[in-house]
Amino acid sequence: MKLNWMRRQQLVGYMFIAPNMIGVTAFIILPALFSIFLAFTNWEFPQLSADFVGMSNFSRLVQDEVFYNSLKNTLIFLGSVPISVGLGFLAALVLNKSVYFKKVLRTMFFLPYITTGVAIAFVWMLIFQPVNGPVNTLLMNLGISNPPGWLSSTSSAIFVFDIIWIWFLLGYNIIIYLAALQEISSEQLEASKIDGARLFHTVRYVIWPLVSPTTLFLLMTGFIVSIKQMGIFQAVTNGGPGDSTTVLSLYIYKTAFRYYDMGYASAISVALLVIIILITAIQWIAQKKWVHYS
Amino acid sequence: MRKLISTIVMFMFALIMIYPFLWMISTSFKQPFEVFQSPFQWISDQPTLKYHENVWTGTASFITYYWNSLKISIISTIGAVFFAAVAAYGFSRIEFKGRDTLFLIYLVAMMIPNQIIFIPKFIMFNALGLYNTHWALILPGLFTVLGVFMLRQFFIAVPKDISESAMLDGAGHFSIFLRIMLPMAKPSLATLAIIDFSWHWNDFENALIFLLDEKLYTVSLGLQSFVLENSVDYNGMMAAATAGMVPMIIVFLIGQKFIVEGLASSAVKG
Repeated sequence: MKLNWMRRQQLVGYMFIAPNMIGVTAFIILPALFSIFLAFTNWEFPQLSADFVGMSNFSRLVQDEVFYNSLKNTLIFLGSVPISVGLGFLAALVLNKSVYFKKVLRTMFFLPYITTGVAIAFVWMLIFQPVNGPVNTLLMNLGISNPPGWLSSTSSAIFVFDIIWIWFLLGYNIIIYLAALQEISSEQLEASKIDGARLFHTVRYVIWPLVSPTTLFLLMTGFIVSIKQMGIFQAVTNGGPGDSTTVLSLYIYKTAFRYYDMGYASAISVALLVIIILITAIQWIAQKKWVHYS
Repeated sequence: MRKLISTIVMFMFALIMIYPFLWMISTSFKQPFEVFQSPFQWISDQPTLKYHENVWTGTASFITYYWNSLKISIISTIGAVFFAAVAAYGFSRIEFKGRDTLFLIYLVAMMIPNQIIFIPKFIMFNALGLYNTHWALILPGLFTVLGVFMLRQFFIAVPKDISESAMLDGAGHFSIFLRIMLPMAKPSLATLAIIDFSWHWNDFENALIFLLDEKLYTVSLGLQSFVLENSVDYNGMMAAATAGMVPMIIVFLIGQKFIVEGLASSAVKG
């Protein structure tokens, strides 16, 4: 009887997770595994056959300058994540206790996060319009006679995406930090006041350590979300000018769906997966040094 | 006094945050020569509705894109929330062999980038005849890994005695799930529904890869093709961008409480 009940329990458990599990397996896990397999072939769409080519896609990868350039652009783009997290922390500190109209402000900061990325990217494209867009008009009025070409220049284009992305993520970072700040008890803050700590010391040595698990969460999820981002690059610059805004995710898309070089595109996507795992693992190991769990 | 100053400073920052939206709306009602006019004016001297009308009429119009996006987003969201709730219940309230291992697989699946699964999905949908149909977006959209996480967090927090006493009364897991957990979880389900809807509505990459016919385009993809065809028509671009964003802004203003609290609780307690 007891055994029967446990068997039943087992079966019921599987039945509950089965629908979602089947979908996730069919549309995420198996395709990912199949891509790893494709990375060792020379398959090109729409051929019906392909050959095993061993490691040759990967040896092509390590000599591919576009790959290194895309990797560099991806890393520059990822730089927006810690900046946005840092700004989010500062803004949340102020918003938490010392403003009027907290909710209105929170809404204004959060608005970018829910908007359609492609739509807002086109708006930014015009705002950074090099000849007489609002940003350069402002810079010229401030006396900068030779402002950057922004999206039209190979040296500055990627940084426009950093700015857009800092702006985009900021509201989310603020919301999460505000929730974390609310969990800090007033006793913990009072204690530091009794110590006569100044504001800076309270923030640096009391609040910052207390929210460090949140910081870790925001950095880890922020990096993963950002490294996958391809839409705004494809829509606004399609990787240009030159290859100056080609990030890894866009390079994979172009290799696969413009040149139909599916085997090689799969190899780059495997590299992307490895990079994601590495970034996550490094943060997970490094957290021991700076994350404090209460 | 200090509070007043920090309020003013924060409002100035917040204005920078919403500046692109204001600029977009302002431009969409302007005449072409006014877009970059100096000195800058927020409200046009000769305001026009022409560009908004253009977006909604014509051969490939936003009416079609809206209909496609709504259809895909609503069907996907309903399915995703339901399947996620069922799975989250299984992962949090039933003990069975291999549960934690399976959950670990979900953790790993969250890290898998879209780009690695596009090609096999492309092959699969081609073989099934689903390429260039809305099913290529809806079917994968029915399953969310992140949604399972969010709802699992919620179900774990529900005290065990509630379901245990129901079980003593002879209720099985299915009736506990339907009669006790789902009603209790309404706010969490609403949060997930809103967030999931926004993912589908804002999705650009899947539409780009799996849709070919312009009459199947979603709002994001339709917007891009509109911009490519009218790349010097800045007023038209901004009217189209406005059209692309309005539904999400409405959803956000209505469901703000759910979004903010839902996101915050899933992150901080996670």
